[in-house]
Amino acid sequence: MIERRAFMKSGALALFASGFGGLPSFIAQAANSNKIIQPYKKNKTLVCIFQRGAMDGLMTVSPYADANLKTLRPSLYMSPSEKEGGLIDLDGQFGLHPAMAALSGYFTDKRMAIVHGVGSPNNTRSHFDAQDYMEAGTPYNKGTASGWLNRAVGLMGHDASPFRAVSLTNSLPRSLYGNNEALAINNLQDFAIQARNTPIAMNSASKSFEQLYDQTSSSLLNKTGKESFDALKMLNINTLKNYQPAKDIVYPATALGNSLKQIAVLIKMNLGLEVAFAESGGWDTHVNQGTTNGALARNLKDFSDSIAAFWKDLSAYQDDVTVMTMTEFGRTAHQNGTGGTDHGRASCLFVLGNDVQGGKVYQNLKSLAKENLEDGRDLPVSTDFRAVFSAVANCHLSINDNKILFPEWSGNSLNLMKG
Amino acid sequence: MRLKRMFKTITIGSLLTVIFAFTTTSPFNSRTSIRLPYKKAGLTAQQAAAHLLNRFSFGAKPGEVDAVVAQGLENWLEAQLKGKEVDNELTTHLQFMDALLLSNETIANTYLTPGQIFRLAIKHKLIDKDSAKSLERKEYRAQLKEIMDQEGLKPFQELQTQLINQKILRAAYSNNQLHEVLTDFWFNHFNVSLTKPQCQQFILPYERDAIRPFVTDDFKQMVLATAKHPAMLEYLDNASSVSENNLLSQSPARAALQKRFEKPLNDRLADTNKPGNAFLKQAVAAKKTQGLNENYAREVMELHTLGVDGGYTQTDVTAVAKALTGWAVMPLLNDAPGRKLIEKIGKDNMEKRGFVYQGDFMFRADKHDESAKQILGKTFAENGGYYEGMKVLEMLSNHPSTAKFICKKLAIRFVSDHPSDALVQEMATSFLKHNGNIKEVLITMVNSIEFWKDDALREKIKSPFELAISAIRATNATVKQPLQIFNWCTKMGQRFYFYQAPTGFPDKGDYWINTGALLNRMNFGLAFATGKIPGVTVDLLALNANHEPESIEEALRIYSHLLLPERNQSENIKRLSALVRDENMANKIADATSKLPQPELVPETEMMQSTPSLKRNLNAGMRKQNQTMALTTGNNSTVSQVTGVIIGSPEFQRK
Repeated sequence: MIERRAFMKSGALALFASGFGGLPSFIAQAANSNKIIQPYKKNKTLVCIFQRGAMDGLMTVSPYADANLKTLRPSLYMSPSEKEGGLIDLDGQFGLHPAMAALSGYFTDKRMAIVHGVGSPNNTRSHFDAQDYMEAGTPYNKGTASGWLNRAVGLMGHDASPFRAVSLTNSLPRSLYGNNEALAINNLQDFAIQARNTPIAMNSASKSFEQLYDQTSSSLLNKTGKESFDALKMLNINTLKNYQPAKDIVYPATALGNSLKQIAVLIKMNLGLEVAFAESGGWDTHVNQGTTNGALARNLKDFSDSIAAFWKDLSAYQDDVTVMTMTEFGRTAHQNGTGGTDHGRASCLFVLGNDVQGGKVYQNLKSLAKENLEDGRDLPVSTDFRAVFSAVANCHLSINDNKILFPEWSGNSLNLMKG
Repeated sequence: MRLKRMFKTITIGSLLTVIFAFTTTSPFNSRTSIRLPYKKAGLTAQQAAAHLLNRFSFGAKPGEVDAVVAQGLENWLEAQLKGKEVDNELTTHLQFMDALLLSNETIANTYLTPGQIFRLAIKHKLIDKDSAKSLERKEYRAQLKEIMDQEGLKPFQELQTQLINQKILRAAYSNNQLHEVLTDFWFNHFNVSLTKPQCQQFILPYERDAIRPFVTDDFKQMVLATAKHPAMLEYLDNASSVSENNLLSQSPARAALQKRFEKPLNDRLADTNKPGNAFLKQAVAAKKTQGLNENYAREVMELHTLGVDGGYTQTDVTAVAKALTGWAVMPLLNDAPGRKLIEKIGKDNMEKRGFVYQGDFMFRADKHDESAKQILGKTFAENGGYYEGMKVLEMLSNHPSTAKFICKKLAIRFVSDHPSDALVQEMATSFLKHNGNIKEVLITMVNSIEFWKDDALREKIKSPFELAISAIRATNATVKQPLQIFNWCTKMGQRFYFYQAPTGFPDKGDYWINTGALLNRMNFGLAFATGKIPGVTVDLLALNANHEPESIEEALRIYSHLLLPERNQSENIKRLSALVRDENMANKIADATSKLPQPELVPETEMMQSTPSLKRNLNAGMRKQNQTMALTTGNNSTVSQVTGVIIGSPEFQRK
């Protein structure tokens, strides 16, 4: 990979492009068409993490200074005081859950921003509907065929790499539905011809397939076949097997940790990754949510430790990567009868990256007095999720057309990115 | 000689068709006869039969092309359109699946969703509001299982498995192939999704009762059946689309009754110590915020009938939504409060007030918008009640835009990704002439030469499901664990029954074919043919009357012809034989395999309220398959490798 990047920089592309043996064919094609080759240019990558189940924003980033909170949540209230859970104080108003200590340093050094009161204008409290609307990016229209991240990929218009949009899930998430190619894969090691896991059989089968796809009269199969084998060569399985994160970096052995580790591999291999998607589950804390310990704390620790490991692992690439988290809605302001919280409206999200104006909780929250709550029970949505998603996509991915990114929306993007 | 026989069967075939047409024709609806113009397109009967099987079945079984020729292509198609072929083999495969005939109501009260299980746990005090008293996970599970066993309750997972399995088994083994293909098509057209908890329990009955019976009948029936089915009512939220714009809901007597009825509920909610109140409160709060919901109204026009360019406006969407307010699901749960209310007042009395009860569907007159409406330029007078919605759906079903939209979709599925306007128009004319009769439209389609033309042959790319099933059929494979096939379809990009958007899976080659999916198709071929898919067995030698091929070339020739009947394979065979020629390959492979370490299994990411047991099965299967791999190698590995390469080859991806 290093050589390839070096030679790209040297501009000696045309020399190599004409039928050079080991060179993936799409590079050759691109070179012949005088196109700028995106996959090997240092790409910007947006990593989205969807927290399915609705994260309790009021405990994750707690407006602890609001006296109403203690009344609403007698046994779930936390504050910076050690006796009350020891929140990490952010600004005298909001405190970060202590399980997220691994990320707090990035808030301090202003690379992580928090947006509070985020959600959808559609007040559905169904996980399915809210996720569906958020991922499609059209809160009132279920029939939108594509997801917002797929439209983002299309708007960038770089059509070269098969690893341009990758989701570390077993099937494509709603966010990536659409006309632009996107890859759903649980484990990068599956991206190979798997013939009895032996090099010989693999090689023989692989060669056979390559030959067959090379000569087929179906242009779709022919073209995609070529790209597949190019991709195989790019993502050399041996490199994958030997891949180690940077020194002293340990990813949590969890689904999210594994997903982010593999996204890091793709970024480091410079495969043209522009949009990556991962998800994390278990946020639906109706029962025994806990405070410093318990279901939410455990989940937040995994969430925070995974992102922190990922960020450190990418130390040399941080300028080009932004991480944004999202969840379908928040949870009731008051606690329920089983030590948990129920489906609510607004929650909070995190954006981490060197182009983020961090160190700030972006918010427009009113006090949690009953008259300010939506339907008398929920933190109302004061920031449309599209205001945040569009801001991040506009700045980090240089996408300008918000009419396509979020049709039916004419709001303003939130000013939380640099430049 | 063959030609002569062919000629004979065709003559008899067409004769029969003509007779058939006369005997079954209703006086109002003249029946078009089937006359397949494949000869005109330059095809032999054999080639034409292979093409028919490619499009109207999930793939030819060994010898099936000849069988169809012998039966006569027209006769075969006629029988397939009827869908009354005896299905003994399938019956055997389905015999132990006990949920296939259950009603929505039984399912809702038996196959509990995670939410229902949670409420059950609260009811039995397995979960307490005091966190200290909650049971340890293991103990909780054991007790929960005992309670469920005692009460005859089952986790939803088991129903989901049966739903998935029955689709695979029917597609693989049913003799009524066209009905299976069409069920797949129409389900996707009227998509509902297991990803949505509110509708997941009803999807099995939905396919069975709202799709399957109508797949070759009048389109309108399917629109009405899906519109009224609990699965669709919940999936696109029409069940919660309500209006107070009617006399009933404004009557003071009713308000008093409502208050009396709600009193115990409100008393209960006032007691904050009652377990489960949180959920109840939430449900009540959700109810109160209800109003008009346009989701179904929009999609029934955009996706089910007129099509996005079908000439409707946002005003029409709102008006259709209003016309369908009050269309709801009967209270199905044994302890549903609405049930008691209906019992108390009596269905007869309710019907006198304009309520309608049809099976699991109910029309709630007190939630219907009784104002006058303008829809697609037509006026619907006020107080239209239940029949207003019926008239609207009938109007949409028979609309010229619908005819065009539906016929184009059918042509894309069965002819090519880019059917000509002329063909679509011809089919649409037939659609309108025969009141949306799907059988007639399909006959118009196959009677057109476009169906048989060179640029339609093998132009379609199989969906992952079609690929997997066609491999099973082509090799007479035995499927004991259909879920393994489902897992492979997921890997190849088609997690069927889980497509989240109401659009259904896009039906075009470039949706299915991308780099990741394509590699997995090749891997599927290899895994399938080399016996690496647990619970799926293939006896490749039996296909060749237990003769082992003498050489690799012969193996390639024999299995290419078996798997890809009526296609020119000489070039492929020539190229491949050089590659798989290594005589010691089997030994080398066996040798190398025994030295390999077990690959590490990475846990899968949770996808919404997904299916942990599926994942467990998958992982267990993968583990097992890795252990048995070394044993199965060496035996006929050349034949299986060859077959694997053919199944993964570009030619086998086409239909």
